[in-house]
Amino acid sequence: MNYLDFFATLLPETTLVLTALAVLLVDAAGLRELKTAHRILGASLVSLLGCALSVAFVCMGHGSSYLLDGILINDPLTRLIKVAILIPGMFTCLLTPGSRLRAHPGEYFCILLLAMTGLLLLVSSENLLVIFLSLELASMCLYILAAFNTTDARSIEAGLKYFLFGGISAAFTLFGFSLIYGLTGSIDLRPIAGALGQSTDPLLMVAVVMVIAGFGFKIAAVPFHLWAPDVYEAAPLSSAAFIASGSKVASFYVLARVVITGLGGTTGVPGSQWMTLLAILAGSSMVLGNLAALTQTSVRRLLAFSAVANAGYMLIGVLAPGSGGLPALAYYLILYSITAIGAFGVVALVEARAGHDRLDAFSGLCRNSPVTAFCLMVFLLSLAGIPPLGGFFAKFYLFAAALRASPGDPLILSLVVLAIASSAVSLYYYLRVLKEVYVRPVAGAEPAPIPDLPVIGLFILAIAVILLGSFPQWLVHAVESAQAASSF
Amino acid sequence: MQDILFYVFAGLVLICGFLVVANPFSRSPVTSAMFLVLTIISLAGLFVLLHAFFLAAVQILVYAGAVMVLFLFVIMLLDLKVEDRRRLKVFSIVTGLGASGAILFMFMRHLLHAPLVGQSATLSEGATIPLGHLLFENYLLPFEVVSVLLLVAMVGVVLLSKKELK
Repeated sequence: MNYLDFFATLLPETTLVLTALAVLLVDAAGLRELKTAHRILGASLVSLLGCALSVAFVCMGHGSSYLLDGILINDPLTRLIKVAILIPGMFTCLLTPGSRLRAHPGEYFCILLLAMTGLLLLVSSENLLVIFLSLELASMCLYILAAFNTTDARSIEAGLKYFLFGGISAAFTLFGFSLIYGLTGSIDLRPIAGALGQSTDPLLMVAVVMVIAGFGFKIAAVPFHLWAPDVYEAAPLSSAAFIASGSKVASFYVLARVVITGLGGTTGVPGSQWMTLLAILAGSSMVLGNLAALTQTSVRRLLAFSAVANAGYMLIGVLAPGSGGLPALAYYLILYSITAIGAFGVVALVEARAGHDRLDAFSGLCRNSPVTAFCLMVFLLSLAGIPPLGGFFAKFYLFAAALRASPGDPLILSLVVLAIASSAVSLYYYLRVLKEVYVRPVAGAEPAPIPDLPVIGLFILAIAVILLGSFPQWLVHAVESAQAASSF
Repeated sequence: MQDILFYVFAGLVLICGFLVVANPFSRSPVTSAMFLVLTIISLAGLFVLLHAFFLAAVQILVYAGAVMVLFLFVIMLLDLKVEDRRRLKVFSIVTGLGASGAILFMFMRHLLHAPLVGQSATLSEGATIPLGHLLFENYLLPFEVVSVLLLVAMVGVVLLSKKELK
């Protein structure tokens, strides 16, 4: 093995780990005496620098390499997904100064950067051991981030819920992986696919159920979504934003990789029911997520249920046979993470002003700050799938790709019909928020103005959503050529 | 002989593991910890049967020795009381037994019907040198990930359990 290749491939991750240590050191040594707000700002800038360096290293990578039988993979699609994880990460760093952290900014950013490291490693491996370890690394960081405000009982409760659910689902994943190892004698996905062949072993079914239960937790698909509303609502805002965006991208990508590369050979074999299983998860997520979102009064909880519903749509991309749905899934993931982080950004601004995130905090927003209101409108309508915004094209592309990859498959067809119907339902609750913003007068006294600087960041994101929806061929071309050049 | 020893150790692991979490005779945390020690020692026996002598020794030294002493220290420092006997709910017993029965059924069906496809992994003698080669060549990345994971656990524990000074 060539250690130099290995190190060169791992450069983005190494940068993040070193930055994480540097943030701890800078905060402990240099910023200790300053006010908390300044400490957060300083630590945030150092982390941003690290993320930017890491993005640069990812972009500098070229070609495809497949080190140590798939323990470490570096190909164009993986690099694209890595950027899609790092960019929400950077915006999370930007959001943190407004998230009402009370203390320990150094540790917060350290853990956030290590969570990103875990997610980057998660998407760059085809080895079950590395997948499990990096999944644990990322989850462990996210538990801590969710419970970070130790003076706030609700934040602790959110962290504890997340941790208990996560611990059990990790145990399921590990049990499933060990069964797969027992069946095939390998922990690398490609040899596993080879050894499984067209097997319809009942034990494989048990293994698949366990693995999907574990990943279902990470992507918050019904019935493993119970943690999501509480964590989105009570965790510190930037933690919730990162859980909703970066972590989602990585978990979906690795689920697709495990299912398509590892179990792809058993697609369509009678008796191998994992597709039905994922289809049930997808269908129930869409229906339950959208219906539950209708009654929410807290915007963060509303976003949580909208995330559950979106997980349902994205599972259709995983279900499309072969890797036909993959470019569309990648496009959807990128768009979704940008939109989610943007929506959380607006919630952060409103929450900083009103002190809560209930619907009435948003009333009259368009009169105080038209630009913020416009950004929120773009993000929410994009989530609902209104043209010409990115979310519309993402849905269109995903459904079209799934239908094209499996012509006449009743399962996919019925899922797509269900998805279209339920996204029509979803328009109602997004519009409820927008009604508060645009129609209702300001409730009570005139609230404090919204600071300009964060609005600029949100505006950039909103423009990106509009441009990616109006000129989708840029990203579609990038995603498709990346997939063509990759082994996935 | 090896087979008999395997069944003895595997049986011990299962029985002691069960007694750690659900001991019908005692609800004292110290008893649970002691059964955990027994579980770990029986696991070490299984490692010896797999020729992984180094792992077996480390298992006993680190887990049965150092970690368990810490466990006992914490239990005694916290002065945990003997837990009340919980009433078992019929629902949880039925679902638990149902799920484990179903998994057992699948296992038995597999073992009885399908031939074992997994070829036995190349048996490497469990000395330190081959282990080191594995850890620092093929499995270097997982090894490093574990080290980062431990760092996160350390920072997290200090952070979450620290009292806020006002």
